[in-house]
Amino acid sequence: MTTEHKTKSSSWKNKFREKLIEIIGNEGVIYTEDELIAYDSDALAGHRIKPIFVVLPSTAGQVSQVIKECHKEEVPFVPRGAGTGLSGGALPTEEGIVISLSKMNKILDVDIPNQRVVVQPGVVNLWVTNAVSPHGYYYAPDPSSQLVCTIGGNVAENSGGVHCLKYGATTNHVLGVEMVMPDGEIIEVGGKTLDHPGYDLTGLVVGSEGLLGIVTQVTLKIIKKPQTVKTLFASFDHVEDAGASVSGITARGVIPAGMEIMDSFCIQSVEAAVHAGYPVDAGAILLVELDGPEAEVEAQMPIVEEVLKHNKAIEIKVAKDAEERELFWKGRKSAFPAMGRISSDYYVQDGVIPRSKLAEVLSEIAELSEKYGLRVANVFHAGDGNLHPLVLYDSTKEGDLEKTLELAGEILRVCVDKGGSITGEHGVGYDKKSHLSLMFDENDLNAMNLIRCAFDSKGLCNPGKLFPTPRTCVEPGMKTYHVHPVQKKGMGEMY
Amino acid sequence: MLKKSVINNLRNIVGEGNTILESDSLKAHSLDDVMPKAVVFPSSVEEVSEIMKLATKHSLSVIPTGGGTKSFLGNKPPSADIILSTKNLNQVLEHASSDLVATTQSGISIEDLQSELGKENQFLAIDPPHIQHGASLGGIIASNDSGPLRFRYGTFRELLIGLKVVQADGSIFKGGAKVVKNVAGYDLPKLFVGSLGTLGIIVEATFRLYAVPEYSQTYLANFSSIDDCHNALMMLTSSDLAITSLELINPTLALALSENNSIKYKADNYLLAVRIRNVEQAVKDQISKAKQICSNNNGSGTVLSDEVELGFWDDVINFPWALSNTQRTVSKASVLVSDIPKLLMSLDALSSKNGITPYVSVRAGSGICIISFSAEDSNTIASINSLRSFAAALGGHLVVQEAPISVKSEIDVWGDLGSGRSIMKKIKSNFDPDNILNPGRYI
Repeated sequence: MTTEHKTKSSSWKNKFREKLIEIIGNEGVIYTEDELIAYDSDALAGHRIKPIFVVLPSTAGQVSQVIKECHKEEVPFVPRGAGTGLSGGALPTEEGIVISLSKMNKILDVDIPNQRVVVQPGVVNLWVTNAVSPHGYYYAPDPSSQLVCTIGGNVAENSGGVHCLKYGATTNHVLGVEMVMPDGEIIEVGGKTLDHPGYDLTGLVVGSEGLLGIVTQVTLKIIKKPQTVKTLFASFDHVEDAGASVSGITARGVIPAGMEIMDSFCIQSVEAAVHAGYPVDAGAILLVELDGPEAEVEAQMPIVEEVLKHNKAIEIKVAKDAEERELFWKGRKSAFPAMGRISSDYYVQDGVIPRSKLAEVLSEIAELSEKYGLRVANVFHAGDGNLHPLVLYDSTKEGDLEKTLELAGEILRVCVDKGGSITGEHGVGYDKKSHLSLMFDENDLNAMNLIRCAFDSKGLCNPGKLFPTPRTCVEPGMKTYHVHPVQKKGMGEMY
Repeated sequence: MLKKSVINNLRNIVGEGNTILESDSLKAHSLDDVMPKAVVFPSSVEEVSEIMKLATKHSLSVIPTGGGTKSFLGNKPPSADIILSTKNLNQVLEHASSDLVATTQSGISIEDLQSELGKENQFLAIDPPHIQHGASLGGIIASNDSGPLRFRYGTFRELLIGLKVVQADGSIFKGGAKVVKNVAGYDLPKLFVGSLGTLGIIVEATFRLYAVPEYSQTYLANFSSIDDCHNALMMLTSSDLAITSLELINPTLALALSENNSIKYKADNYLLAVRIRNVEQAVKDQISKAKQICSNNNGSGTVLSDEVELGFWDDVINFPWALSNTQRTVSKASVLVSDIPKLLMSLDALSSKNGITPYVSVRAGSGICIISFSAEDSNTIASINSLRSFAAALGGHLVVQEAPISVKSEIDVWGDLGSGRSIMKKIKSNFDPDNILNPGRYI
């Protein structure tokens, strides 16, 4: 499987376009240069590639027909939701098409008694909660982009959010999918009932970054709103103390619904933007949300406060009502956009570390920031050790971006060295594929490639992503080629 | 018999004392009456790798096993050359208690693991059967077995975050990570949960832990009608109670359990057990709410605490494996929670038609029904087939977990794998091109 695809002639393109129009209709095929520009990147805007066409199918049948054509003509295709991804997962492929699922945006089934919702991939994350909240339920995964990002994209990236510490990420809330395989076949895996016999293909497809096929329907689990919710923030002089508080809280057996840290950079820019009531002179704040039965939350509150005080919290403020709680969260959720006020450009990193290492990693990041002469703002899902360092830079300054990427790479190396991961929720995509080998050796990557080859032996589905180097598929029935010892010693050649 | 050279090689790899080759001893390791040719107990990941290289070279089938407590799972194997036991791979490699994560070798028994974790007041949130008989961590992962705790914590799929695997050709890979949140690369841990040793041999696992809750009680309610019982169940699942386990037990099993456990039980009643584990006050508040919901639906019962409570759940977890097993067939049917009464009604209809007496325990919040009965082969097969199509019509399915060999040869224990079947086959053949890992039993 390679990522290079031959340049197609314009007569071939015309014919192919006609074929696509035949399948979807004129209004579902985008081919003018002006319109194609809108699809040349996702939220990782530093990389741009214009697709040859964009198609907007309305049914799984249309997706299947389009993919069958791509399969026949060996045209690579890239699935796309709302394009809010931060790792370039929806970046088009040279000489390839983009399949946008934005027209497949219907909620198909809301089954309150069984706590299931079946949706098309283009449904926006927040719509699911909106559809079930009158019944007292919600959909737990809540990425910051939940107002616009789609369930299909969430499935591809296994999106998290501020509440996945206690409730898990997308993979813990998806029970089944209907998908179009890279050869056009439509299959259904999992479903509304549990424990389907056979391999857990649903678990494999969630987080596969659109490399295994195109999901056309998703069965989700919804959960009941908790009896009580309490949110507090604590301010600290040093971000390290906030970090130590986090592992202190989990070590006491308390698993809050969410724990978020912001450092002084973030606090200042957020306060200027949304006035969440954070103390602007603090070195860091830690936001803690407890939920569950009232008596449980009541019992946990003093434990949390004790840990915070032990770690030198200056001020602890408990939200007095739902309104104030919203405000606390609003500050956190607007951290990325607010950063635009203090720096014209920033690069978001997405490393993960064991939460017990938070304090030491934060110190190392501060040292790296100094070494590179670039400011790093820290805002992160501290509860599950998911860091989002924002490297602030100036794109008009020669060499600043290169330096930024280098620093960001160093941060990932620190994360992996501490036993962590290069991505907690944004995915590897195009952006971090070269960093994947920090975590996985050749054997590990080969095992992953066995999966990809089972689904997509031609390598047409979202190629050029995730894997550090292009990998080929061994034809079924052919054994893996082993080097003969004589060859290895350089004593013989294979002819 | 294995070739002399293969036997010597096996002995060289694991050591004389870690092999079983005599037919008298091998008989005890038979799978569905198929006697293996060798049982080996490697003590390191490298030894597992060497065994797999040898097996690949000679095209020998390898059946991975841990505690050996679920050797009845799967279709009858066509042959069994080598049973590879992970029993000696039983070390806790890391218990990062403040991260609520542990990494261990796969052969560790759940019992040993829990007692180790218990020292830090933590536990692995899974309570499948066979623990007292030595069920291992790797075996639970490979079979995706679970118990009543799944309502609150899910199955191993929600707990496993990383693993190390020896492939059919002996190469070693890892997947996932040691942190609770990670999306780097494909989610290999998910693929291996429930893969029944067909894709590789799990040698290490990293999983998330929870703190042991401070207090526990169970409200056990009697209902004279399934409708009342089910209404109470639906009200409980849609309430804001933080329930740990929720079990619905049919009258036949209820009677058997009450004889065993001296619990108060009214004849011909369904039982609904609501377990809450939390801080003491939260347990008491919620148990009284659960009681109210049951009583609003004509249910009455008792609160179980301490040893009585533990004994009750122990019986539920180990059902039906603790009951006598003459010609027993155990099935796991999965339906929607709202369809549980329909499945129970269809079972009642079958019992009069086919002369079976089913014992049923339902993980009521998950729709998982564990059904056990004993009957003549022909009646068993007819009952399985009708139940399976009934479950399928409800959007569910039925897997036969244990059955007499004569029954197993007549049915596929897994049933319809659906439209994902061919991709499962491709994954299997990519990971195990010579089909030597647990062949014929699953995929």
